[in-house]
Amino acid sequence: MRAPRRWLTSEFERRGISRREFMGFCTTMAAALALPSAAAAQIARAVGRAEKPILIWLEFQDCAGNTESFLRASRPTAAEVVLDVLSLDYHETVMAAAGEQSRANRDRTVAERPGGYIAVVEGSIPTGANGAYCTIGGESAIDIARKVCGNAAATIALGTCATFGGLPAAAPNPTGALGVADAVPGVGNLINLSACPANVENLTALIVHYLTFKRWPPLDHYRRPLFAYGKSIHDNCERRAHYDAGQYVEAWGDAGHRAGYCLYKMGCKGPVTFQNCPNVRWNGGTNWPIGCGHPCIGCAEPDFWDRMTPFYQHLMGVPGFGAGSNIDTIGGLAVLGVGAAFAGHGVIQIMKRAADKAEPVVPNGPAKGDA
Amino acid sequence: MSALVRVYVWEVPVRVTHWLIVLSIAVLSVTGFYIGYPFVTVSGPAGRHFVMGWTKVIHMWAAWVFLGAVFVRIIWMFTGNKYAHWDKFIPVHRSRLRGCWPTIKFYLFALRKPPGFVGHNPVAGATYVLVFGLYFVAIATGLVLRGASAEVESPLRWFASWAPLFGGLQIARWIHHALLWLLVGFAVHHVYSSVLMSTIEANGTIESIFSGYKFVPPEDLQYSGYRFIDRKGQVDE
Repeated sequence: MRAPRRWLTSEFERRGISRREFMGFCTTMAAALALPSAAAAQIARAVGRAEKPILIWLEFQDCAGNTESFLRASRPTAAEVVLDVLSLDYHETVMAAAGEQSRANRDRTVAERPGGYIAVVEGSIPTGANGAYCTIGGESAIDIARKVCGNAAATIALGTCATFGGLPAAAPNPTGALGVADAVPGVGNLINLSACPANVENLTALIVHYLTFKRWPPLDHYRRPLFAYGKSIHDNCERRAHYDAGQYVEAWGDAGHRAGYCLYKMGCKGPVTFQNCPNVRWNGGTNWPIGCGHPCIGCAEPDFWDRMTPFYQHLMGVPGFGAGSNIDTIGGLAVLGVGAAFAGHGVIQIMKRAADKAEPVVPNGPAKGDA
Repeated sequence: MSALVRVYVWEVPVRVTHWLIVLSIAVLSVTGFYIGYPFVTVSGPAGRHFVMGWTKVIHMWAAWVFLGAVFVRIIWMFTGNKYAHWDKFIPVHRSRLRGCWPTIKFYLFALRKPPGFVGHNPVAGATYVLVFGLYFVAIATGLVLRGASAEVESPLRWFASWAPLFGGLQIARWIHHALLWLLVGFAVHHVYSSVLMSTIEANGTIESIFSGYKFVPPEDLQYSGYRFIDRKGQVDE
């Protein structure tokens, strides 16, 4: 059933990828991974000699957006091949097999090659009602994840749903959705690629790193690779100069918006979101949200649907005053209220003092024993 | 009635840290408000201006001054004189616990004078515990936000890993901003209360934070916190 394992170089030749193109790809990958350019040769050696990695792609509660992103790897061409020729032993959306046959495929890989494949998880894992909210062939998502991720050499949680729960986990989280790290605690060698969807360039770079060094790159405290999640959107943003200068879009379509000013006041979450969008961009480097005038919504961060909203407001509202309330208005009024309360206290105090003067008492009354 | 005694209450580090905290909070509030809501905008090429840039630079240096002043003041809670000591903030001793209710009664006009505490009265001290709590949260969320924009190799970056404690960076930002208004509210309260106490007790409360000295009845030094006068002029101890 499974195609015989092949070296990647033969695959490149078969597809007409020149050595020059391949080296270009390796250099791009070295740059994406923030490695010195000399690493390109090492990458070329490792990737060229690598046996095609086996991937088992699990899809749970999601919109298949990461699959969409994955299938649209368009640049460089060699990246397409690396992703294309991965031994995708199981991927519901793109595999030819179906039903029992596909499940048998998956289970055989899991059983026969423990530690010999990479599990990719897309979508969140529902834990409510014993996992009944998402079952595939009668097996619940959580059971499949435990079985497949438990035997994998490594697990890649792809996209915000698989990483942090994402949209399915947004309040009130009716299905009890969790990311892989929380749903399958203790899963070995887990790496998170958040964002909605995860950028396929980062997935390619991650796999290339794995093929080259046989281990994952350095990670941040959410287990995301630092090469892609080491800097905030804000710190790499092409509009950053406008931010530092003090030039902001004040309303959609105003002069500042047309001039490409900073979207900070329109609720941009770039300063609190970590991703390399400004550098690698999307859809083959065509553009990215801020590049086309839309503020970042923070899709790569935990619980973004709950915490980054309202998307077009700098900060969320004050609890009890509505999501759209303005913290400065309420804070300013609260301070005025405090001032008014103390002014009232002062007036009463003065009146009492005046009353006391009419009926004087000893100002600093005698202590015990003085009398 | 006995003559008032001059007492050295606030030592130099207490006064210096007090004024550094006042100044830094003032600078941090103004710059912080601008960072949250940049109301000044400029035109022309971006390279000619650095309004937000300078505001953030000033905010960060003022933040280090604030952090240092709060740190020194906490050290002084263990090494300073008895009026600066930590137990004047957290009311653990019986005299201070007993002094709380009459002090609150004074604020509610039920007593003519507050109990005669020389340094902080117990209610004020307990309030400062809350205020220091706000300082800690402000410092922690500030460090989280600073860490988020630090280089990966920078030691400051470590603070970014505290973000989950506050529910993520965006919530940390919200908390940091809300503290601006809480601390401005506290400043209003603090100025009013010190003017009130200075007037009622006529002991130089306001001046003491400049000079360090207060003028108190000698029996206050002896029976700290026990005496108070009810509205009928009755003395209780």
